[in-house]
Amino acid sequence: MNILRQLLRRLIPMFSIVVIATFLLSLLMRLLPGDPAAIMIPNGSIDQQIEIAKETGLDRGLFGYYWKWFSDVFTGDFGKYYLNGGYRDLGGVIADTLPVTLMLIIYAQIVALTIAIPLGLASAYKEGKRFDRITSTVMFTTVSFPSFALALIFSLIFAVNLGWVDPIGYVSPSENLGEHLKLMILPVMSLAFGLASGYTRLLRTDVIATLKDDYVTMAASKGISNRRVLWRHVFRPSSTTLLTSAALNMGGLIGGTIVIETIFVIPGIGYEIFYSIGARQVVAMQTLIALISIGYVFFNTMVDLLTQITDPRTRERRA
Amino acid sequence: MPDNSLSSTETAEPVVKTKKPRKTIGFYLASAWISLVMFLALFGWVLPTPQWDEASYDNLGVAPFHPSHILGTTNDGYDMMASIVNGAKISIIVSLVAVLIGGGIGSFIGITAAYFRGKYDFAVTMIFNIMLSIPNLVLSLALLSVLAYSDENNPASMTRRVVVLIISLIIVIIPILGRIARGSALQWGSREFVLASKSMGSKNFFIIRKHILPNVAPAILAIGFLAVGSVIIVEGSLALLGIGIPGGASWGSMLANGRGNIEYSPHEVYLPALCIAFTVISFNWFGDYVRVKLDKRESKI
Amino acid sequence: MAGSGKAHMRPEGDVVLEVNDLVVEFKLGKNQIVKAVSGVSFDLIRGETLAVVGESGCGKSTLGKAILQLPKPTGGSVNFLSKELTTMGKKELRDMRPAMQMIFQDPVSSLDPRLPVSEVIAEPLRVWNRGNEVEISAKIDELLLAANLDPAVVRDRRSYEFSGGQCQRISIARSLALDPTMIICDEPVSALDVSVQAQILNLLQDMKDRYGLTLIFISHDLAVVKAVSTRVMVMYLGKVCEVAPPEELYQNTKHHYTKALVGSVPIPDPDRPISGNLIQGEPPSPLNPPSGCRFRTRCPQASDLCAQEEPQLREVSLGHFVACHHPVGE
Ligand SMILES: Nc1ncnc2c1ncn2[C@@H]1O[C@H](COP(=O)(O)OP(=O)(O)OP(=O)(O)O)[C@@H](O)[C@H]1O
Ligand code: SF4
Ligand SMILES: [Mg+2]
Repeated sequence: MNILRQLLRRLIPMFSIVVIATFLLSLLMRLLPGDPAAIMIPNGSIDQQIEIAKETGLDRGLFGYYWKWFSDVFTGDFGKYYLNGGYRDLGGVIADTLPVTLMLIIYAQIVALTIAIPLGLASAYKEGKRFDRITSTVMFTTVSFPSFALALIFSLIFAVNLGWVDPIGYVSPSENLGEHLKLMILPVMSLAFGLASGYTRLLRTDVIATLKDDYVTMAASKGISNRRVLWRHVFRPSSTTLLTSAALNMGGLIGGTIVIETIFVIPGIGYEIFYSIGARQVVAMQTLIALISIGYVFFNTMVDLLTQITDPRTRERRA
Repeated sequence: MPDNSLSSTETAEPVVKTKKPRKTIGFYLASAWISLVMFLALFGWVLPTPQWDEASYDNLGVAPFHPSHILGTTNDGYDMMASIVNGAKISIIVSLVAVLIGGGIGSFIGITAAYFRGKYDFAVTMIFNIMLSIPNLVLSLALLSVLAYSDENNPASMTRRVVVLIISLIIVIIPILGRIARGSALQWGSREFVLASKSMGSKNFFIIRKHILPNVAPAILAIGFLAVGSVIIVEGSLALLGIGIPGGASWGSMLANGRGNIEYSPHEVYLPALCIAFTVISFNWFGDYVRVKLDKRESKI
Repeated sequence: MAGSGKAHMRPEGDVVLEVNDLVVEFKLGKNQIVKAVSGVSFDLIRGETLAVVGESGCGKSTLGKAILQLPKPTGGSVNFLSKELTTMGKKELRDMRPAMQMIFQDPVSSLDPRLPVSEVIAEPLRVWNRGNEVEISAKIDELLLAANLDPAVVRDRRSYEFSGGQCQRISIARSLALDPTMIICDEPVSALDVSVQAQILNLLQDMKDRYGLTLIFISHDLAVVKAVSTRVMVMYLGKVCEVAPPEELYQNTKHHYTKALVGSVPIPDPDRPISGNLIQGEPPSPLNPPSGCRFRTRCPQASDLCAQEEPQLREVSLGHFVACHHPVGE
């Protein structure tokens, strides 16, 4: 009951935010100088342009257009890419590309956490010692290293100079798993680097705080081994913060992958956005951007809700 | 820091003494780099380099430390040093202008919303949330692709593109700094010195200017430095996506142009990439320094 | 209490402030209303010190702020120097402000940490254009000296460098800057060490005599109030319980709540740690106060009548008023 109320309390604002944000995107689209239908098929005949305007709802007013777009997307009709007289179904494109983007993001998260957890624990355990100081400085520096700059420098070093991997390209895991992983190394590393720094810093701060808690001192004084104390009594409570932050990053990463996918020519959602801009597919672009925003809002709301349900502290404070 | 013991009629209660945040090597390096970039942006024109947009067809894609091109040339013969200097100018102008204007507008809206509350605050919070619900890059991408729309028949001029880019970035910055300003102003606004000022007859905007703004400013400044960093990243990303500033006029744009030549003239990629990275990192160091200083001050109050 | 009523209002005398049926409510969420002050009436005669006493959360601060129209009360009237404040326009109200000042509850939070002390005290003078820089500077020194602070030492320091007691002195100096008629002191000593409390109380007494002030002195501690006040008003959950001169209140306590308060004051042995409140349990929530007498849920004498009918203030002896159906000893 209570959880249901909480859910509603969050879902209603979330839904209104999504509606208003996508409406603003529609408005923005209608501000384009010129006729959007003509922009999408510059070489099409007037008749074709009229037909497309009808199909997309561009022939209606702003609200009519938005309503058409909204109800279509809601019922699973994502519209089309219009190409040289033909078209591609955007729904199909999304079905093909979304998994690729998600894969990229999940790999990056896994790599980042794998780096961050041991580093963060060790750094906290040796707080103030040289190891910690060096790690902290390096992490602070790399956390703000732009992923696209890293991507280009990685390509330069590992693809161009050393020739270990191809600089661009993508192979699906079902086709050739080894090749797939090899091609994903550079994009994943570019995304994971900054993430790992963020997580390490977060974990370090959290663990340092936990280490000062009484029950940890007590566990240590009872003669339980250091490693065990660190793992059972320190890492476990801190892992919630870490996972929350990782979950919150998912939304932001969807934005960040646009550039990485473009640089490495990976056929994900981000690359499609880049492509739709280049191909002047304004309606498709609007739909893709709206989807990313919806995913972002949805993800953040869910994480918020989950922490609320799982973390008794916030739950009590609310009650 | 002055000694806290006061010779007064009563014994002073112990006052917490705090150390100043340490100015680390990183802080000095960051200051040095930012000064260098600022210097190049302002006085780069005194350097004896060719014009950044005039190609030298005798020296295509030469490596750095060439006698007449200290940082080499691009594959199309543009002088790298001149391009970097020009890029510094554009990148710094774009990011500072966007953050100053966007931060100014955002702070004003955020602080007044927190101070006056009510429906105005409700509306502001709602709008900020909506804007923040779209990732930075995606929002500026949408704004830019529409506002700076151009095609073969009517290409958007360079000035127009830069102006539109700045406007998009301003719109992105407003809710980021606005929310910080609102949160901080909400905290300070509930302090009793604000009520005390009201009770002596101060007018609202006087209170905002004299009591709220100075207290909120450090928080805005700390995030403002981080915002400069994010704006530079967004500018670079947009250029890479082909809808930012064109023609190698900014660092991001240099990257976008140089990307295809990575095998022949790698310095076309790593020089601007490192410039962007160092600048972003430096601004983050600044932001962090201000934040730590702020935390220390807060814990003291 | 607690009850309502105006039996204690005085028809004659040089009345500085007259508060009638003051109500302050805060909306919380959709349909919750905090009833912080519910129908309080009292008057204040020039030169007197009215103490307002009650436990934490009973609405003392809210009452003080509502008198200053910060924020405007939900209902009732506030008549200050024969002018009605609640219906006044913004400009007129602003003109009244110098005459009524308040020393706020938290001595540290009432000073802007960014401003040096000289600026803190100069602020009211600047807001009202009282003199040029030289005159303002002289006035600052005068006020600081009056508050027993050494201008040379404190002028350029910021509030966070000071102890609570020193902050309180600065607040007092600031409240005097505009030569007010009335000052509302909201728990001026409760945040301070016991040793510092007496100094600040003495300072307030001095100031009162020197500048001919009329004071409202808010406190949760009856013992503090005894020495400084001419009249005490005991509040419980937004209502008035008992009004009397301090001696009378102590010796001839009539209200069961006041009795509990008197009982919890550790006067006989100042070294004994402050004993727990003699009243049982927590006060009820101001969101949903009890019917009839608001004190009935914790009163040992509560009867059916107390639940049905709200007691009104009535005079039990000269100058002593109580709102109780079954007063102590009757
Ligand atoms: N702005 C507000 N919004 C909602 N409720 C409020 C507000 N200000 C005060 N209250 C509530 O009104 C009641 C009275 O508060 P007030 O601060 O006047 O009490 P007090 O007697 O001064 O207590 P204390 O001794 O703790 O200062 C409390 O229950 C408080 O929670
Ligand atoms: S006896 Fe009745 S009226 Fe008197 S205080 Fe107790 S409950 Fe209130
Ligand atoms: Mg109070």
